[in-house]
Amino acid sequence: MTRDNRLDSDDERALVRFVYHEARLLDERRFDEWLGLFAADGLYWVPSQPAQASSTETLSLFCERKPLLAVRIERLAHPNLFSDQPVTRTHHQIGAVLPERSSLARVDFEVHASLIVCEYRAGDMRWFAGRTDYHLRRCAPSSALTDGPDCFEIVQKRVDLINCDAPHRILSVPF
Amino acid sequence: MSAPDPAHLVQDDRVHRDAYTDAAVFALEQERIFRRAWLYVGHESQVPNPGDYVSVSLGPDTVLLTRQADHSLALLHNRCPHRGACLVNSNSGHVARWRCPYHAWTFALDGHLLTVPMADGYDAAFNPTDPALQIARVPRVESYRGFIFASHAANGPGLTEFLGSLASALDNMVDRAPNGTLTQTGGVLRMEYRGNWKLFMENATDLVHPSVVHESSVAAARAHREALAADPSTSQTLQMLLSNGLAMPQWAGVPLHADPHGHVYMGGFYKDGVIAPVRSDPVFDRYRASLADRHGEERTAQILAVDRFNNLIWPNLSVNARFGVLRQIQPVAVDRTRVTSTCFRFDGAPDEMFDLTLQFLNTASSASSMVASDDLEIFERCQRGMADGSLPWLDIRRGRQTDQQQTDGSITAPGTSELAIRNQFSAWLSHMSGASEL
Repeated sequence: MTRDNRLDSDDERALVRFVYHEARLLDERRFDEWLGLFAADGLYWVPSQPAQASSTETLSLFCERKPLLAVRIERLAHPNLFSDQPVTRTHHQIGAVLPERSSLARVDFEVHASLIVCEYRAGDMRWFAGRTDYHLRRCAPSSALTDGPDCFEIVQKRVDLINCDAPHRILSVPF
Repeated sequence: MSAPDPAHLVQDDRVHRDAYTDAAVFALEQERIFRRAWLYVGHESQVPNPGDYVSVSLGPDTVLLTRQADHSLALLHNRCPHRGACLVNSNSGHVARWRCPYHAWTFALDGHLLTVPMADGYDAAFNPTDPALQIARVPRVESYRGFIFASHAANGPGLTEFLGSLASALDNMVDRAPNGTLTQTGGVLRMEYRGNWKLFMENATDLVHPSVVHESSVAAARAHREALAADPSTSQTLQMLLSNGLAMPQWAGVPLHADPHGHVYMGGFYKDGVIAPVRSDPVFDRYRASLADRHGEERTAQILAVDRFNNLIWPNLSVNARFGVLRQIQPVAVDRTRVTSTCFRFDGAPDEMFDLTLQFLNTASSASSMVASDDLEIFERCQRGMADGSLPWLDIRRGRQTDQQQTDGSITAPGTSELAIRNQFSAWLSHMSGASEL
């Protein structure tokens, strides 16, 4: 992290809290609120290859901008969503959270973190591990920064699983 | 335990659950189907230069597809003849010669033994040209227009005879490339389910299931139809999800075509928007013009008019020529299967045509797919349900009365028929009973 990327401590605290909050929404299956964290063109992306450079030239495990992510979330509430019966329980463990200022266009902050997700459904426990990287945009006056998570929107959430290229059984909920 | 008798497992209108659940039947399938039939292993574009290799599945084995010095293809077993170690441990690479990581025996690209360290440790009976000291080669490897198939059996019908009328699916995929070649690229998607491999092949042309199994994604897509249609990056997925919501008469209108070798294809059912078989927009117009430069207008129209969805080359390959994708269905155990999806650029086509291919597989073949995930779940439920022995038979007679025998040996039926399942079991029985040479 260069000096230019450093954040003041209020921003840093708010960004760390934002990613904790995001993980909690997933674990509590508050998917509508989770979707609400995304910018209108925000991308949720889980590459299928290690160090994948592009979401448009290579296949992905998940690759959905908000309008399509909304279909996935709508589907998660459908009574005949067979692939999520009984519902998937998840536990997100986020560590080594590193927030910094971003030099990307229309992105204010990046947060890099390590992620472990434990998933349980229908008698099967699965573990996933990897990195998660957020591109975030400030979407409220800075005075609101300390008041809650809603002052950032997700421009991109990328999850790089260490076994992204392994054969996977059903992935019914986002990481 | 005595060996299973396949003839007792398949009847005209029903199949015994042991065909899906008995490990002894699975072992017999490995021996009589996957060690004999022609199986797809890879594409020529994966190994363009001498010394290139990729690690591929051939039935129960992982073998090395390699380009030889004379540009021919060879499939080598990944096993050193000395102590049995795997020669390489990566999915792909390039070698000048093979070198075992254990005792450094070296072999030429074609597998013949070059050098052995400590040569003076061997007596005169050690003959470096002994076949048992060479890397074993798969006896039959053949390319059909760039698609490489192989067979563990030294003898049997040729590849073209085996492919039968379904060679047309591979032809159509190649014909759709303005330069006349395909390039495999864009990575790979791999899914796995706890169920028998045949469940995937049977489901792939079962057209009564989509509006039931995929109800949740049809409903969600309908609820968001307007927002998605406006966005070019999502309209393809929207159309794909909506297409599974056809009414039964529409599904019945999709033709099924069964080939005597166990192969099957179904007609297309993507009719609207960006996934329509023929479109009129700047990208597609450019694409059509580049095809016409190669084939002429009339032939181009014929190529684009071939509107089929899944083309199933028995026992375990699904081809979608329009979107340039292949899916290999790989049995791992009697109750465990992997599905590997790969995709191709139509060389010479506008880049945007490949976007359709990627989006097709992202939508249809990821483990997170809003379509495939529900199929995989149903396969797992079938496998668990079949473990219940209360009713040992599964019913496969739907549409039997509408099957139409054609003069060329094929059978056609409305899309709502279980013709494909019966046809696959006909080939299965022929192989499993040892009646077929394949």
